[in-house]
Amino acid sequence: MQPVAFRHTIHVDTLKMNCLYCHFSANKSFDPGLPAVGTCMGCHTVVSGASPGNKAEIQKLAAYWNKKEPVPWVRIHKLPEYVHFPHMRHVNAGVTCQTCHGQIQNMKQVYQASSLNMGWCINCHIGQTNPPFRARYDCSSCHY
Amino acid sequence: MSTEQEASPPTGTAPHGVKRREFLKVLGVGTAATTMLGCASEKVERLIPYLVSPDQTVPGVSTYYATTCRECSAACGVIAETRDGRTIKLEGNPDHPVNRGALCARGQAALQGLYNPDRYRGPMVRRNGRLESVVWDEALQIFAQKLGETRSRGGAGNTVFINQHESGSFPGFLDTWLAGFGMPAHLSYDAGADHAVIAANLQSYGVAWPRLDFHAARLVVSIGADFLDSWGALVPQQLDFADSRADHDNAPRLIYVGPRRSLTGLNADQWIDCRPGSEMSIVRMLAGQLPVEAAAQATGVSASVLDAFGREFTASTSSMVIVGGGGVDGLEVALAANALNQSHGNVGVTIKPNEGHLGFDRMAAPAELRALAERMNSGGVSLLMVRGANPAFTLPKSVGFGGAMAKVPFKVSFSSYPDETSELADLILPDHHPLEQWGDAEPVRGTISLQQPTMDPVFDTRATSDVLIAAAKKDPGSAARYAMADYRSWLISRFPGGAAGLATALPRGIASGSLGEPTTARPVPPVRAATPIEQSSGNMYLVVYPHPLLGDGRGANKPWLQEIPDPVTKICWQTVAEMNPATAEKMGLSNGDLVTVQTSAGTLTLPVLRYPGTQRDTVAIGTGRGHTHAGRYAKAGFNPLEILPLAEDRAGGVAFVSTKANVSKAGGYAQIVTTEGSARQHGRGIGQAIAIADLQGGRPGHDTGASNVAEVAANAGPEAPAGEHPEGGAEHSEEMPGDASHQFLPGLRSPVANDAQGEQGDPRSKDNGMYDPNHWSGMAKRRWAMTVDLSRCTGCAACVSACYAENNIPTVGADWQVGKVLPDRTGFGANLLRSREMAWIRIERYYEGGEDGGADFDTRFVPMMCQHCGNAPCEPVCPVYATYHSPDGLNVQVYNRCVGTRYCSNNCPYKVRYFNWFGYGEPARSQYAFPEPLNWQLNPDVTVRGKGVMEKCSFCVQRIRETEDRAAAEKRPLKPDEFTTACAAGCPSRAIVFGDAADESWTVTQLAKDARAYHVFEELNTFTAVVYLKKVTHPSPTIAGGT
Repeated sequence: MQPVAFRHTIHVDTLKMNCLYCHFSANKSFDPGLPAVGTCMGCHTVVSGASPGNKAEIQKLAAYWNKKEPVPWVRIHKLPEYVHFPHMRHVNAGVTCQTCHGQIQNMKQVYQASSLNMGWCINCHIGQTNPPFRARYDCSSCHY
Repeated sequence: MSTEQEASPPTGTAPHGVKRREFLKVLGVGTAATTMLGCASEKVERLIPYLVSPDQTVPGVSTYYATTCRECSAACGVIAETRDGRTIKLEGNPDHPVNRGALCARGQAALQGLYNPDRYRGPMVRRNGRLESVVWDEALQIFAQKLGETRSRGGAGNTVFINQHESGSFPGFLDTWLAGFGMPAHLSYDAGADHAVIAANLQSYGVAWPRLDFHAARLVVSIGADFLDSWGALVPQQLDFADSRADHDNAPRLIYVGPRRSLTGLNADQWIDCRPGSEMSIVRMLAGQLPVEAAAQATGVSASVLDAFGREFTASTSSMVIVGGGGVDGLEVALAANALNQSHGNVGVTIKPNEGHLGFDRMAAPAELRALAERMNSGGVSLLMVRGANPAFTLPKSVGFGGAMAKVPFKVSFSSYPDETSELADLILPDHHPLEQWGDAEPVRGTISLQQPTMDPVFDTRATSDVLIAAAKKDPGSAARYAMADYRSWLISRFPGGAAGLATALPRGIASGSLGEPTTARPVPPVRAATPIEQSSGNMYLVVYPHPLLGDGRGANKPWLQEIPDPVTKICWQTVAEMNPATAEKMGLSNGDLVTVQTSAGTLTLPVLRYPGTQRDTVAIGTGRGHTHAGRYAKAGFNPLEILPLAEDRAGGVAFVSTKANVSKAGGYAQIVTTEGSARQHGRGIGQAIAIADLQGGRPGHDTGASNVAEVAANAGPEAPAGEHPEGGAEHSEEMPGDASHQFLPGLRSPVANDAQGEQGDPRSKDNGMYDPNHWSGMAKRRWAMTVDLSRCTGCAACVSACYAENNIPTVGADWQVGKVLPDRTGFGANLLRSREMAWIRIERYYEGGEDGGADFDTRFVPMMCQHCGNAPCEPVCPVYATYHSPDGLNVQVYNRCVGTRYCSNNCPYKVRYFNWFGYGEPARSQYAFPEPLNWQLNPDVTVRGKGVMEKCSFCVQRIRETEDRAAAEKRPLKPDEFTTACAAGCPSRAIVFGDAADESWTVTQLAKDARAYHVFEELNTFTAVVYLKKVTHPSPTIAGGT
């Protein structure tokens, strides 16, 4: 269970926020960038939530901020250490976030939608998906 | 590049954040604990975001800070690569006038000082005989109180501040601060400096360290001047020397005179093995003041060799005579050599006082510290402050510095690390590491080399400069003059252009101007009269020399520097007594037999190493090891300074070659800890050489390395017909110059790769596979390759330490990593005895010529890493395709496929594959090589390998992919020489060049066409991607057939 019940549904689906607003380095780094608590508070100092449930969650966030503590999010997606996944190469090639992370805008709580195993990666790299992408499938492209 | 330090706490996953057990404990408080436990069976990992995202940084993307290396007095410029708030790699600053982009092994290892697990965590004070942690406010209060007490009791004149020698603004700042309290100026101390030479240079040239122009010289005579080991500003000297030697037609011949062939000596074309203490006779002979026969008598060198040497020197059009002190007559020898340079017209031509190096001005001689020890003993010192220096270890034990410290009522140490001096202190105010603080240096006149923090402090330390300011603020007498917030503000107030000027200068790390006080040479203190070496008793001369990697011992607690083999002896983690093989034979000593070395000051028992580069009447022992209080790694080995009697040269320097010793067999044995298999090539042609005359004449002259003395004799003389070469010389010679076998075919592939993934894989496929040069991916258009120029390589091991830093190479030699086995009675290196070293690149050092170091004794250095064979023997034997050939020419190791059969390693002719036996990269294992916080240095771009996998040089594939990613993002092709590997980037000899050999516009492609090019084990048809360029030898023009 996440420390704060963050809703991608509200932020992405309802409010139409761009993924890169929070995951700011997904198009320029291996690391997609986890929003700093300060980024959250950029809006939530004024946005306090519509429903009592939302209000409670935003108050949890504010509590972390007031304590000057980062939110200890639970990690959902993890590749093994010996694989290097450059987010920016994929984002800049036009691969949508949903291609790997599933329909994240509809997830009340994020779960791992794809297997993230190597066969699944290769399937796309050799152009077996619709729409087709193609990319290097040499081992040393990712394993080093 | 950022201009200012805004480092924030590291982010990303938190391996040491919330542990699973603690997480469950928290859950257990809740009501649904039992049901929840069932669900939470998988390990929960946390993602910890920044609280506030720092400006200018992108997670996963490096930020680079230009700063200054403070590992020795040379003050090279470095670029610190910082990722997510942690400094992970140092590289030379290409714009810096001193090191021009190169960085030595010790500079690379600065990171292991920054993240040293034994660093002081915070201030400490001695209470009831024990050091206790205190908070900074309290520590500063104690410090300020002591300063006040000292002054109010009228004892300010009896205080001493010893600072590690440095150039720049801090020494002047410190003296002003001391003067504010009525204290005398500080002692600037560098145990690694050559005081006799500095004193002689100041006397002869008016500068401490003139620039040595190797380019202008045709003959360099080094009389114990180890300019590639420890003598002077190493990196610029090595750059200049390698450059001059690479210009083969105008290269200077190097003659090394001395009782022990150091790394510099091994790079010499000729070695004259004079007796220790007889250097003066050589200089006088060269000056024509001493007949050759008399010199031969005094030095033990044959008259014919000396005669030829003298004639060559006289005939030389431009020469350079450089001297390393060391004997009790060090100053006189250095002065005589300087006079020789004057009379030969070398000053201003090869020796340039006007372009002097400033790093050595104003240094206090060890004699001043010896005198200080005497004062301390007599109760004449009321307060001692020490920063950066470790006199209790680096002075001969006979000085008794440590014992004298006990007589000082209050001792303050500013050391970042525990050491023999700080262990005796009453108050420890740990300094920041140089990579954590502001500062500057002035390595050459008119250039400020800036030092800035590259990350937030690792521990609760404070910059000494800031501590001094804080202490002054508490003092009513000084407070008014120290209104500035910290040292940075003080620096800005003095900096040309102020804050804006500093901000402009920081990205490059250098600025014009000068922040230091004008310095004057210190007067030579009264020195002890020393007795000549011949009058001491013993059966052998004792030569104590500084270790090229550990220096005076300050590098000893850095596991890289302990594990990287000594460039000369190839010994790791161990101190040995080096003896000439002939002498050892006479005494019945084999490698590893323990000997007792006894002098008037003490006795040391240590293993013998037969080293042909030792004069026959000499036993040589290196410094740097054998610490008692400097951390977990520094305990390895022995300290020869414990048995060195006190002797000073007339400049006040320590005479390291001043006594004879009684050397006797002790009985017992300790295995030599070395990574070396055989010191001989056995005719395999690994390190090849060509005489300069053959190169100029276009003759084959292949010298593939003799297997024994007889073959050397058979090969002697440049005119030997090629057909007479005993091992394959004839067949090689057909291909000279420029053999065709190193043509780099794009996509050159191994049969296995061809079969497994290539065009033959699926005949129905329209996609011919990535091994097709016309494949859309374009991968097979490239062929990554490397050239190693052996005429440049000096064997210094900078590449090895750069590789350790870049590729997360574990060290395996610490005593706790394998218990019970005690090779040298300290337990270090046991893993290495079992050939478990992990260095992906090593320097092979091969002896040529006489077993006993005769006139034909020569050495070749061969950096050896994975050769990335086009037709690799390792690939077809792997049962799981864990190693294969990539389309762009890499021999790839896929760790997650590897099951650890080790077949590949057994089939590798180059022995460049290393097996991870014990999970050195896994924190939970007993052999974990990166105790916190050493693991902070690990490169996030490179997998930290686990147990049971094979690993090896990857040609820095992470750098290749990073550069490809960058080019893709900028929608452009790769630029020629756009990037290079870690080993090539650091090399202070510029011996290694990396690039795409299928593209003519890369430098590597041009170098591979050189007439000196060859592949190691070419006859195996491995089609390696590494091309070596033969070493060029410069035989004596006056001795026929000599080397």
